[in-house]
Amino acid sequence: MFEYFTDPVLRAPTWGCMLMCLAASLMGVLSFLNKRSLLGEGISHAAYPGVVAGMAVCAIDAADEGSLFFALVGALLFSIIGLWVIDRLEKKGKVHSDAALCFMLASFFGIGTLGASFLQGARPLMAQRVQIYLYGQAATMTDIHIVIYAALSALIVMFLVISYRPMQALCFDRVYAQSLMIVPRYLTIATFVLMLLSIVIGIRSVGVVLMSGMFVAPAVAARQWTDRLSTLLWIAAIIGVASGLLGNILSVEASQKLRIYFPHERLSLPTGPMIVLTGSAIAFLSLLFAPRRGAIPRLVRILSFRVRTVEENILKSVWKSKEISLKDCRACNHLWPPSLIFLLWRMQRQGWMTQAYRRYALTPDGDRKAARIVRLHRLWEVYLADLGWPEESVHRTAEEMEHILTPELEERLAGQLHDPKLDPHAQPIPEHDVVC
Amino acid sequence: MNAIEIEGLTINYDQTSVLWDLSFSLPHGIICGIAGPNGAGKSTLLKAAVGLVKPQSGRIALLGQPLRKMRQRIAYIPQRESIDWDFPITASDVVLMGRYHQFGFWGRPRPADRAAAACALEQLGMSAFADRQISQLSGGQQQRLFIARALVQEPDLFLMDEPFRGVDLATEKSIIELLRRLKNEGKTILIVFHDLHMAQSYFDYLLLLNRRLIACGPIEATLNSQNISRAFGKSQSLFEEATALSAKTRLGMK
Repeated sequence: MFEYFTDPVLRAPTWGCMLMCLAASLMGVLSFLNKRSLLGEGISHAAYPGVVAGMAVCAIDAADEGSLFFALVGALLFSIIGLWVIDRLEKKGKVHSDAALCFMLASFFGIGTLGASFLQGARPLMAQRVQIYLYGQAATMTDIHIVIYAALSALIVMFLVISYRPMQALCFDRVYAQSLMIVPRYLTIATFVLMLLSIVIGIRSVGVVLMSGMFVAPAVAARQWTDRLSTLLWIAAIIGVASGLLGNILSVEASQKLRIYFPHERLSLPTGPMIVLTGSAIAFLSLLFAPRRGAIPRLVRILSFRVRTVEENILKSVWKSKEISLKDCRACNHLWPPSLIFLLWRMQRQGWMTQAYRRYALTPDGDRKAARIVRLHRLWEVYLADLGWPEESVHRTAEEMEHILTPELEERLAGQLHDPKLDPHAQPIPEHDVVC
Repeated sequence: MNAIEIEGLTINYDQTSVLWDLSFSLPHGIICGIAGPNGAGKSTLLKAAVGLVKPQSGRIALLGQPLRKMRQRIAYIPQRESIDWDFPITASDVVLMGRYHQFGFWGRPRPADRAAAACALEQLGMSAFADRQISQLSGGQQQRLFIARALVQEPDLFLMDEPFRGVDLATEKSIIELLRRLKNEGKTILIVFHDLHMAQSYFDYLLLLNRRLIACGPIEATLNSQNISRAFGKSQSLFEEATALSAKTRLGMK
C-alpha cells in the first residue's frame, strides 16, 4: 500500500491526483455556492484549443521539453478568453448564462478538435501529446507535477483561510457585502485565477472532458452532510483527496488484474475516468444516504410517519368504542388486512393494547396516548371554528393535524383558546395529562 | 443636519431611466415609508443610497457626508427574494456578517464581535436558533435575523427593502416596536413597503415615488388621495410606454 506514496514510478500519479483533486474540489465548492457549477465545464473545454496551440508552438520549435509549460500557458490563455466571451455574451448580448456557456464551450472545443486534427497530419507525435490532455493520463506524470500541484493546493488553502469570512459573505449575500464595503478587486480576481489554475492544471490528469466532474462532485456530496461552510470545505477536500487516491489505486490494481486474466487483450482502466467515477459514486451515495438530506433517510421518515398516522388512528378508534373486534377495526381503518393485523400485534408488543377473546382494548398507557390524540384533534377543531371555518369542514384538517402538533404547539393552542372543554361538535375534549 | 439629502439623482439601467431627477431630504430620527407601484424605483433608490447602483448624475449625502465615507454607518436589509435560503450558513454566522468589515487581516471575528452578535440575537428573541441553518427558521425569524445583522453593524441609518413581506402580524408588530425604539435613539429608518394601510400608524414620513418624486414629507401632509392617485394612477402609463419604447429603440431591439 505504501508503495503508492513512495515508489518512484507510482508516487507521482498518486500524489499528483490527490493534490489536483484537492485543489479542484475546494474551488468547486466556491462555484457551487455561487450556483455556477457549470463554469468548470466551460473553462476546461475552452482550455482545449489552448493546449493544441501550445503544442503547435512546441512543434514549430521541435522542442520536446517545455511542452508541459506551453500547454499550460496556452490552456490558461484560452480559458481566460473563453470566460471573457461568456461574460460579453451575458452582459452585452443579453444571452442567458447557460446558453452563453454552451455556445462558448462548443465553439472552443470545435476549434480545438480542428486544430488537433491538423496537428495529427503535420506532427503525429505532438498530436499524441494533445490526446493526453483530452482524456487525461496520470500514469505518465512525474515529480515535477507533484511540485506544481502541491504549490497550487497550498495557494488555494491559504487563500481560503485568509479570505474565509469575506468569501462567505460574498457568496451568501453579495449585495449586502458590497453595501458594507467596497469588495476588494483582488478577491474577485484571485478567485477566478485560482479557479482557472485548478482546472487547467487538473486536465493533465483527468482530461478536458471529465475535469468538471472533479469540480462538481465533491461539493455536491459534501453539501449533503453539513449545513456549515467550514465543514463543507473540509468534507469536500477529504472527498476530493479520497477520490484522487482511490481512483488512482483502483485504476492501477484493476489494470494489473485485467492483464493477468486477459493477457492478450491489452485491457486497462485509465486513471482519469476512475477518479471521476469514484468522486461521482461518493456523490451518488451521499445523495442517497446522507442522514438529513439523503433520499433514503427521507423516505424512511416519510414511511414511519405514515405508519405512525395509521397506528394513531387505530388507537383512536379503539379509544372511542373502548373495545373493538378485528372486524370493526377493519371497518373504520381501511387497511390491507395483513398489515392491520401486523400493526395490532406490534402495538400490543409496544404496550399500547391488549387482546382478549379476539377483542382489542387499550392499556392505561395506550388510553393516555389515544386521549392525547383526540385532544389535539378537538383542540384543532375549536381553533379552526374560532377562525370562522364552517363546522363541517374542520374535521378533515384536524384528522391531519392531530398527528403533527407538538406538545409546544398544543400548549400554545390551549392557552390561546383558554383551555376549552368542548369541541365544535359538543364532544368533550380530554384533559391535558401531565404524565403523558 | 439632515439624515439623508439627495439632489438631482438620475439612474439608468441599460438606457432605461429608473429614477428621474430626484431631490429630497429627510431629517434625523424618523421612520420613513417609501411607497410606489411596481417598477417605481423604490429598491433602486435604496441601492443607490448604499452605493450598489451608480447614478448617472446627482448627489447623495448621508448625515452631511458623501456616501463613500459613510458605507458602514448604513445598514441595508435586502429583499428576502434575493437571499439563497439553502446556503450552508447558520443564523449566528449571518449576524456576524454585519461586522466583517471590522475583522482584521486574517478575517476572523473577534470575541467582541461574537458577543455583539449573540446580544443582537438575544434582543430579537432568537438566541435559541443561533446554530440553526437559515432555511430552518420561520419567515418571521428569518426577517428578524436580518434585522439582527443590521443591529450589530451599529448604524445610524437603516434601509429596509420590504421587511414585512412574508411576516405574520405579531412579528410585524414586534419589528415596528423595535424600529420605534431605534428611532428614539436617534436612528433614521427608511422602509420600502407595499400595503398603504399600514402607512398611517407605522411611519412618521412618507416618500411617494413613481420614477420621479411624487411627494415627500410628514405623513399627515403627504398621505392624501391626490398624491396616491398621482403615484399609482393611470395617468403615468403613457409616460412609461414611451420611455420603454425609447429604450428599446436606442438598444436596437425595435
